[in-house]
Amino acid sequence: MVNGYKPATLREAVDIRSRESVIPYAGGTDLMVQNKANAVYLFLNDIDEIRQIADDSEYIRIGAAVTFTEALASDLVPQLMKEAVSKIAAPAIRNAGTFGGNIGNGSDKADSVLAGFAMDGRVRLVSAGGERVIPFDDFCVRRGVTNIKDDELIAEILLPKDKCAMPYYYHKVGGRNALAISRVALAGVYDVQDGVISYISLTVIGEGKFTRYRDVEAELIGKTVEEVQAHIDDYVRLFIDRMTFTRGRVSAEYRKTVIGNLIRDYLMTL
Amino acid sequence: MREICKSVKKKDHDPKIEGRSVYVADYNTTADGREILCGKLLHSTLAKAEVKAIRLPEMPEGYLYVDASDIPGDNNVNIVLDDTPVFCRGVVEYIGEPIGMIVGPDEKVVDRLLKETVVEYNELEPVLDIRKGTEFFFSYEFGHGDMEKAFAEADKVYEEEFETGYQDQAYLEPQGMMAEPEANGRMFVHGSLQCAYYVHGAVARALGVGPDGVHVLQDVTGGGFGGKEDFPSNIGCQVAVAAKKAGKPVRCVFGRREDLEFTPKRHPALCKYKVAVKDGRVTAVDADVLFNAGGYSTLSAVVLQRGIIAATGVYDIPNVHVTGKAVKTNTNPCGAYRGFGAPQTFFAMEMMMSHIAQDLGEDTIAFKERHFVKKGDTTSTNGKYHFPVPLPAMVDEIDALSEMKKKHREYAKPQTGRYRRGMGFSAIFHGAGFTGSGERDLIKATAKLRKYPDGTVEVLASNGDIGQGVRTTFPKIVAHELNIPLEKVYYSHPDTARVPDSGPTVASRSLMVVGELLRKAAIKLRDIWVEGEEQEVEEHYKEPDFMIPFYLDRFEGDAYPTYAWATNAVEVEVDTYTGMTKIVGAYGSFDVGTPVDYNIVVGQMEGGFLQGLGYASIEKMNYDGKGRIRNNSYTDYLIPTAMDVPNLKAVMHVEEYPDGPYGAKGAGELPLVGAAPAYIEAVEQALGGAAAHKLNFAPFNAEDVIAELSKEVQ
Repeated sequence: MVNGYKPATLREAVDIRSRESVIPYAGGTDLMVQNKANAVYLFLNDIDEIRQIADDSEYIRIGAAVTFTEALASDLVPQLMKEAVSKIAAPAIRNAGTFGGNIGNGSDKADSVLAGFAMDGRVRLVSAGGERVIPFDDFCVRRGVTNIKDDELIAEILLPKDKCAMPYYYHKVGGRNALAISRVALAGVYDVQDGVISYISLTVIGEGKFTRYRDVEAELIGKTVEEVQAHIDDYVRLFIDRMTFTRGRVSAEYRKTVIGNLIRDYLMTL
Repeated sequence: MREICKSVKKKDHDPKIEGRSVYVADYNTTADGREILCGKLLHSTLAKAEVKAIRLPEMPEGYLYVDASDIPGDNNVNIVLDDTPVFCRGVVEYIGEPIGMIVGPDEKVVDRLLKETVVEYNELEPVLDIRKGTEFFFSYEFGHGDMEKAFAEADKVYEEEFETGYQDQAYLEPQGMMAEPEANGRMFVHGSLQCAYYVHGAVARALGVGPDGVHVLQDVTGGGFGGKEDFPSNIGCQVAVAAKKAGKPVRCVFGRREDLEFTPKRHPALCKYKVAVKDGRVTAVDADVLFNAGGYSTLSAVVLQRGIIAATGVYDIPNVHVTGKAVKTNTNPCGAYRGFGAPQTFFAMEMMMSHIAQDLGEDTIAFKERHFVKKGDTTSTNGKYHFPVPLPAMVDEIDALSEMKKKHREYAKPQTGRYRRGMGFSAIFHGAGFTGSGERDLIKATAKLRKYPDGTVEVLASNGDIGQGVRTTFPKIVAHELNIPLEKVYYSHPDTARVPDSGPTVASRSLMVVGELLRKAAIKLRDIWVEGEEQEVEEHYKEPDFMIPFYLDRFEGDAYPTYAWATNAVEVEVDTYTGMTKIVGAYGSFDVGTPVDYNIVVGQMEGGFLQGLGYASIEKMNYDGKGRIRNNSYTDYLIPTAMDVPNLKAVMHVEEYPDGPYGAKGAGELPLVGAAPAYIEAVEQALGGAAAHKLNFAPFNAEDVIAELSKEVQ
């Protein structure tokens, strides 16, 4: 038997969360597999407030319980995010899996998190006492660890509209063509005006953590595309030298080489 | 195409699709309403160690521990040799070896008790490297011609080593067996299995009873692919011993990780080839084949036999010398998997032929074609290819599908872009039926038909449906000969209490051998048919007259009566940035003789081909420095999905075999065997050919591509 709560509103949900130790449950694609004994779940699937995709003047707002399939059908969700989530697992899992779950479980290989990172995404967290909006960088601490507090729930993912409008680069390398966790992936958005890079972001899967090397990105901003491409090896190295590759099932040499190749490809296609 | 080829709805289709099929894990109680105890194995955690003591936690009432001391009969599971213990004899030989079993009503309590059980070991030095193994379970040698002369006269001699890895069967349903002591004293054992009589023999021996003291039923089985040929005998004995001790039904169903880590897989192999070439023709092959058998011998003898018989591929080689050894290592015992030893040696021989051709500057496909055997030629074991060899026509068939030859020439030119293409080709056979004189001397298959007064006919045989469709194709043959509707003929899952021993469900033999017995039995029944009466007919296997007797001690004679043939072409596109290899197309022409049900056979061809492509590319499994298999989940052991080979085409070529039903030969294993060499050849070509990157191992995955390409940079 599964014990749990099925609140109808976010208010109700955060009240329960503040009182009791519960596991937030939206799509359940990870939790069903874990099937923890004696777990008490907080089922969030019925809360309309976090099942919406909306926009305001600043952000595209994706509710935490929005499924990947719903996002793929939306006109508001930016193409980079769509491309990333279209490669998650397989249709059955995309029908159930959610944005809140993808970032909430702290995986270092979450495809929607990669895209969100590249677009300066933010997470809106709600608790009984109030709410806060923090950047992805602050939310994702390290593999398996996030910055969420025990009484908080993820309500929304916010994607800045200026970043959503930019051209992007995305490439995923999994172990096979479906039902494949990303071994290496790269996402970035950029803006080039009259041959000069006015904005660029770059983030990867394969390092064992999500991060942005904003100081390296800053070095590229203001440079011409021509100059960057003329010294492509140096610019690839700027990123690669900052990265550390933990041991994993897929060799560090492989991940490092492929990430280097993808950074090169990204910068060469600006 | 013959009438019999027309596809029908499979007899197991509706119950499986509607979820009504009962698998061994599905029983809530036994059929007679008794409680089923849960049994779980205590596996060794060291590769080689003396077990000094077992410290059990306090056992609650109703829970018990079972081990070797509880075996009433013989602590040897009869497979080929008798070295596999039911429960550990005192020294464990691999990580996972069953030391004992904890049994009780509540699975969670059993899990807890297992966790709290402490095994004290005296750790010994394990042998993990096949190259360092000095103990051989089996060692064979054979050949013909004059090797010395051939090598002395050779223009050029080529030497190369080829390695292939583990492959797991990845059946949907994990291993599981159940034993129920019956009121009459008999032990009833049933579960997920391929060979009911193998389990029957093994359990009778472990319990120390005669053949009447046991009966074995195949439950609905969710896939086998060879993985349930021998292993159900082990679990069958373990649950039977436990049920005997408990006096209650006991069931053991493996968890997925347990199954991936501790059940038999394809043997990793190291094949060392030395080949003589004179005037552009291969004149001699000297092959030394090592199979990593693991901690016990299990089926390694017969797997190795099939492997080394195929060591010279589909080629006419005048001088042959082959040695084969099943090397003991302290690792998980290997067993049967579709192809049964042949994928390893065909990979070696096909790659060898390709590398020689490239060195000689000849087109690899043309070089292979020039060496094809034909009807009347001598086999590697001095037997004879008695029937036409349709390979040339089958090359044309896949060429028409894939433009293989044109593309192969085109992709041989230098490529420099990010994406590079290659086209690979292989030609292989599958020796139909048991190796050697096994059918005649060991199996001696018997099959029966029983007609009931209402005119329905039951097939009585011991071959299990494991998805390959014998519950449909056997009745189809019988209905065809009796000229009655298919609905009137049925074949239930075999129970050794009521069916004769028509042999195991292995070696792609069921349809060809047992199907033919049933066809003959049906003709007999037709001749004596009396309306309204119960009637029974029986048919026994007889070796075809044309066969040259096979002598296992010398490896001489016809190892198989006939052969199924295949040609494969695989086109790939390698992404040199990521190492990912896209399979642009995979094409196969398959000659299994007459397909007794077209859809079933095409399904087999497509599925087997896909498994072979997995073996070639992503299905990498290995053990670490302690002998432990780490990637024991489907997250870490990847098998291909339909998305990985969207363009897979299988066509049938029919070369009828006169001693098979309506011309049918063996089908099951054939489609897997040739995929690896075709795929790796294609990848090799995409990377610039053997001169730039000589590939000699499988699987070859994205990491391997990047590692190869890194050599260029350095």
